[in-house]
Amino acid sequence: MILAFETSCDDTCAALVGDDGTVLANVISSQEVHNRFGGVVPEIAARHHLELIDAVVAEAFARAGVGIEQVSLVAATRGPGLTGALLVGFCAGKSFAAARELPFAAIDHLEGHIAAAYLAPARFEPPFLALIASGGHTLLLDVSARGGPVEVLARTLDDAAGEAFDKGARMLGLGYPGGPELSRLAADGDPRSYDFPTGRSEDFSFAGLKTALLYKTREVDASDRQVRANLAAAYQRAIVEALLRRVLRGLERSGRTRLALGGGVAANAALRARLGELEVELFLPPPELCTDNAAMIAAAALAGGALSYPDYLGLDVYATGEGPLR
Amino acid sequence: MNTLGLDTATSSTAVALARADGWLREARDDVAPGDRPAHTQRLLALVVELLEAAGIGWAQIGQVAVGVGPGGYTGLRIGLASAHGIALAHGAQLVGVGTLRALAEPVAGRSVAGVLDARRGEAFIAVYREGEELLSPRVCRPPEIAGLALAGGPHTLAIGDGALRFRELIELGGIAVAPAGSHLHAVSAGAICRLAAGGHAVAAVPDYQRLADAELALDARAR
Ligand SMILES: [Zn+2]
Repeated sequence: MILAFETSCDDTCAALVGDDGTVLANVISSQEVHNRFGGVVPEIAARHHLELIDAVVAEAFARAGVGIEQVSLVAATRGPGLTGALLVGFCAGKSFAAARELPFAAIDHLEGHIAAAYLAPARFEPPFLALIASGGHTLLLDVSARGGPVEVLARTLDDAAGEAFDKGARMLGLGYPGGPELSRLAADGDPRSYDFPTGRSEDFSFAGLKTALLYKTREVDASDRQVRANLAAAYQRAIVEALLRRVLRGLERSGRTRLALGGGVAANAALRARLGELEVELFLPPPELCTDNAAMIAAAALAGGALSYPDYLGLDVYATGEGPLR
Repeated sequence: MNTLGLDTATSSTAVALARADGWLREARDDVAPGDRPAHTQRLLALVVELLEAAGIGWAQIGQVAVGVGPGGYTGLRIGLASAHGIALAHGAQLVGVGTLRALAEPVAGRSVAGVLDARRGEAFIAVYREGEELLSPRVCRPPEIAGLALAGGPHTLAIGDGALRFRELIELGGIAVAPAGSHLHAVSAGAICRLAAGGHAVAAVPDYQRLADAELALDARAR
């Protein structure tokens, strides 16, 4: 049984996963405290992780109905992410592993998002393309095998897709986090009322789209709800099409016929609907495995890479922009 | 009961193991001034070194005592998160000890002002005499250090990395600072163990002394 920790951003997560990939407990404590700041504040995230970590781990054991002595492997997110936040889960996990002389797996967060596909009962096996889109990352990856090499086909040149949602929401006068609110408003609008750019490069880019929305809000009567709904719908469509276009190109070039989704943006209904139209075998994890969670970190540890005690004692975390899949 | 003591509130990584029979040993990692602390990389290896020297295993640690600061925010969290992990592993008791109290602990026979560099041009300070707290931990600006240290009287000795950093200002205020090479400027994890055993344990929660910057900015805007 694997005990996993994930504290790379603002969710304090612990999970217990069986050796066969069965999720026994997947506890996620979201820090809503950041909403009033309009974004995640690293120092506040780190403070809250430390306050929450004990209760979150205790809750995982309680929900799984198992004891500490049944843990045979410990995993924790090593990066990329906010250093101060990462350190809480990483140090707790590494120290727990050491004190029980268990093997420890230091997991790349993005490898974790990919590995969500390996959890039971779905067990979506490579090879596949993975689209990981959230407030922190936007990557299209070619995954050849479990724990095997992963090729980055496209990455974002500026904002992450989820960030684009949040910034667009702010321009439309919506609260933070803005993604779900923007999608709700978009449901009442016409996605073809405006033509927003989807970026020309092979990589993802949302800076031009953001600017286009800003100028458009100045041109039109943004006090009118229908106008704002149309803007939201067209803006969301541009993000979805930007993602879709790179996915199509990636499928074509790699010859892959299967696609896995991950990250908070994977919960977006418009994106799910568009991807559903593709002629691929599509894996859409349940929402709690799309957003940041520790079960996916445990799944990545199952795919290999654990070090025996005491070889991992000196390991450290790495920050945003570092790691194999940056 | 065997007690593992840790402190990572300063740039040093300080570890001590106090066996139930009175045997105590310390291990530490000090980085050169200005260098990045190596808390995450060194802490567990130092603990293993001490366990081997003591001839006991992880499961025989009955209590984990951790320095709760004030000190560097990241260092504090590394120490506390690690202490949580170790304590959870075998159900050891987890307690905190004030880092400034631990800094002051080795000085006997006179009042002592523990002064740590709080960065951003500020210092953390507290004053003790024979274990009695004469000034509780707080954050201050360097010109205030000497005045605050007077809570221990004119013969108070200032120690700690903050005392070294702001030596001129402190001495100008009439308070003596221990010589530069003195071991008194470093927090001892042995002191953490002794204080935990001596009735000075507190809750194992970090003593940041300051709100996060974003919180301060938001409060300022609300006012
Ligand atoms: Zn993520």
